Amino acid sequence: MALPNPTSPNPALGQIPDSYRYGWSDPEQPRTTFEKGISAEIVAEISRIKGEPDWMTKLRLKAYRHFEARPMPTWGADLAPIDFQDIYYYVTGTDKAAQSWDDVPDYIRRTYDKLGIPEAEKKYLAGVGGQYDSEVIYHNIREDLEKQGVIFLGTDEALKKYPEIFREHFGTVIPANDNKLAALNTAVWSGGSFIYVPKGVHVELPLQAYFRINTENMGQFERTLIIADEGSSVHYVEGCTAPTYSTASLHSAVVEIIVKKGARVRYTTIQNWSHNVYNLVTKRAVAHEDAVMEWVDGNLGSKVTMKYPSIYLLGERAHGEVLSIAFAGDDQHQDAGGKIIHAAPNTTSLITSKSISKGTGRTSYRGLVKVYPGCEKSKSTVRCDALILDEEARSDTYPYMEIDEEDVTIGHEATVSKVGSEQLFYLMSRGLSEAEASAMIVNGFIEPIVKELPMEYAVEMNRLIQLQMEGAVG
Amino acid sequence: MTTATATTLDAEAIGRISDHLGEPDWLREHRASWWLRAEETPPPTGLEEEWRRTDLAALPRDGALLAEAPQLEIDLPAGAAEAGVVVADLRTAVREHPDLVRRYLGTAAGQASHAHFWALAQAAWTGGVFCHVPRGVTVDGTVVVRTRLDRADATYLPVTLVIAEEGAALTLLEEVSSPDGGAGWFGGIVEVIAGQEARVRYANLQQLGDGAWNIGSQRVVVGQDANVTTLNAEIGSKVTKVGLDVQMTGKGGTSRLLGLLAAGDDQHIDINSDQDLHASYTTSDLLYLSALYDRARAAFYGVTKVRAGSRQTSSYQECRNLLLSPTAGAEPIPVLEIETNDILRCGHGATAGAIDPTQLFYAQSRGMDAEAAERMIVRGFFEQVVGQIHDETIRERVLAALARRIGFAEEQAA
Repeated sequence: MALPNPTSPNPALGQIPDSYRYGWSDPEQPRTTFEKGISAEIVAEISRIKGEPDWMTKLRLKAYRHFEARPMPTWGADLAPIDFQDIYYYVTGTDKAAQSWDDVPDYIRRTYDKLGIPEAEKKYLAGVGGQYDSEVIYHNIREDLEKQGVIFLGTDEALKKYPEIFREHFGTVIPANDNKLAALNTAVWSGGSFIYVPKGVHVELPLQAYFRINTENMGQFERTLIIADEGSSVHYVEGCTAPTYSTASLHSAVVEIIVKKGARVRYTTIQNWSHNVYNLVTKRAVAHEDAVMEWVDGNLGSKVTMKYPSIYLLGERAHGEVLSIAFAGDDQHQDAGGKIIHAAPNTTSLITSKSISKGTGRTSYRGLVKVYPGCEKSKSTVRCDALILDEEARSDTYPYMEIDEEDVTIGHEATVSKVGSEQLFYLMSRGLSEAEASAMIVNGFIEPIVKELPMEYAVEMNRLIQLQMEGAVG
Repeated sequence: MTTATATTLDAEAIGRISDHLGEPDWLREHRASWWLRAEETPPPTGLEEEWRRTDLAALPRDGALLAEAPQLEIDLPAGAAEAGVVVADLRTAVREHPDLVRRYLGTAAGQASHAHFWALAQAAWTGGVFCHVPRGVTVDGTVVVRTRLDRADATYLPVTLVIAEEGAALTLLEEVSSPDGGAGWFGGIVEVIAGQEARVRYANLQQLGDGAWNIGSQRVVVGQDANVTTLNAEIGSKVTKVGLDVQMTGKGGTSRLLGLLAAGDDQHIDINSDQDLHASYTTSDLLYLSALYDRARAAFYGVTKVRAGSRQTSSYQECRNLLLSPTAGAEPIPVLEIETNDILRCGHGATAGAIDPTQLFYAQSRGMDAEAAERMIVRGFFEQVVGQIHDETIRERVLAALARRIGFAEEQAA
């Protein structure tokens, strides 16, 4: 398989002193369980257990120092309850198996039943037994991809098998010191997907984490790196609409995507973590000349989500899109949105956000459109619609714009509304119950985004909205 | 005539203002307690969301405080004085209508983002406007109040109070100007209080000199079924950072906030607004338009807040920026915080961009040169607000002031 040669090592590495303080060379037995909390020793131990090259160990330790030095963000959702020393940062396979089906909250089990999720899949989603037998399908797809030269592996495995291409790109889109949570992820990352699509190759089927479900693709600190080489295309799907039970209270992923000249990447996420989870994710893509990057980002679960998928339009005529959908039920806060940075002329972007808040839920759209001087003929449209279903629910819109170029067309528009009583009355007069009618209106509201999802996700999303509206889900 | 005392502002200097103006004890105490508040409420650090886009480091804090404020030029329509309408310099009003002034002066803390500057002006004002319209009185015609500062380098922190009692109606144009060529600090604060069913149109035409720092805040309190329109035309100054604070406190109240910004050279104009919908059945709309030339920058950060329990409210925020030079910049940020679902209408829109080249092409194909075409298009862009200015005096004055920047000749009144 032809891989590009790394022309330059990761620039972030140059800054690490050679004699770092936390060298770890004791030839002791690997630990099977980790204690709660984080320290340089734990970071180094994670790297050692994984048998990583020296540069990765150093990068992890450097990132850990950034994590320690950076303050918590004071804007956005309330993050005060997070206690970083009360979290397990590395969980081995044996620890995972210890979880029992009986520990899974009732509301999640009920939802699985109502969605008709198969037994084996349920247990996987609930984090009970990490195996789901999709090997047969997976095997065929893998062979097909391999013929085209596509690499699709767990991130840990990719570091071992393709160290050069990995090192060339890892941390180049989201550097270790980007923000506190990205620094934490860089220090303790585990799992995630690595995808490389060679020049001119079009991956026809959406690549889903599903296909390699027996690896740790839904980890707590997963790290995903996607490289679409010139003229290639790929659609990656992460997560699933059904609730995903996790005992860990903090999930902090990092996703880096590089879309080279003329390539096209779509990244679809549906997040439905159980309601105890803080989901703080950094996702960023760079799009080069004539490239197209699309984020389809759905947030249904978690207690708090802060996630703003970003696109840096670095080459002329690059195009970026963010489609964001958020649903916040009781005690949930979905603080989501998108960022587009126009850094080249003739670049275009579109952000569409649809959010729904119900009960005491709160949705916030937070976004940025920035146009650098000289990026003439750039165009951007931001459209945010919010639906507030109950009196105690709340919706916020924070759309930031920084325009430093004259010859551009930049627009933002937002509306906030409730379900119209006339609409409800009409549907109920046709024989629908109030819950059915509300669900139909909500489904209509999010339709522009749902129609962009792969079929099975779209179907499940509609059923889930129906369940939420009936109050049948926790 | 204007005299100035060079002082740093401190408790003693505040006391000397009272000595100098021969003020009653209640006012002396009023100033002292607001001075304490100003000290307890530190100036913005630049980390606050509302202050991230304006750097106060170069604010000329050491200028002499104007002890003798300039004489106001007041045009009061005939019959108004007889109906009991008071329009006067604030110092004069303290002497002639002490009870009225005492009832309304400094009754609220002002906008959170400008709390320090609000307190400072309450403590250190040496001039301002007092306008009071009694219950049920309609002022026919336009009240015009002009403040012409004759120094560019002084510090002046005036307080304007506009009160329309229940069922009263008033149209008032306040103009401020100062000479070019010096770094002055104009820290005017304005409070407009509209009682039940009152109608107020308040326009502020700012033509400060090219070195002036205009750091102001306008608080508008809209009572039950009252209707208030404010218009800010920001033409002059080097740096303008104005806060708009609209409190919809009475059921069924309506407010409309209009803004026209024409900026060039290195002008920096930054507006932050709070539209706070406390009461049910209220309407609050905002429309700010900026035309930006040369290296001018306009920032707008506006928050619409619909409080839990406010039913059937209606609000829209719109901010449009026309960029007329490659080096001009805009940051329009309209924020919504909605705590209830029982809303009639709520939304916002923001745009930034250059003139549509097809419009320019069309105008030129009809025989206009490029400059004339641009002038016409900018004037057309402003029409969205100008068309809502029904008072002829205000429209003419505002268009004449805009002409200096956007270049069109004065228009005939429609």
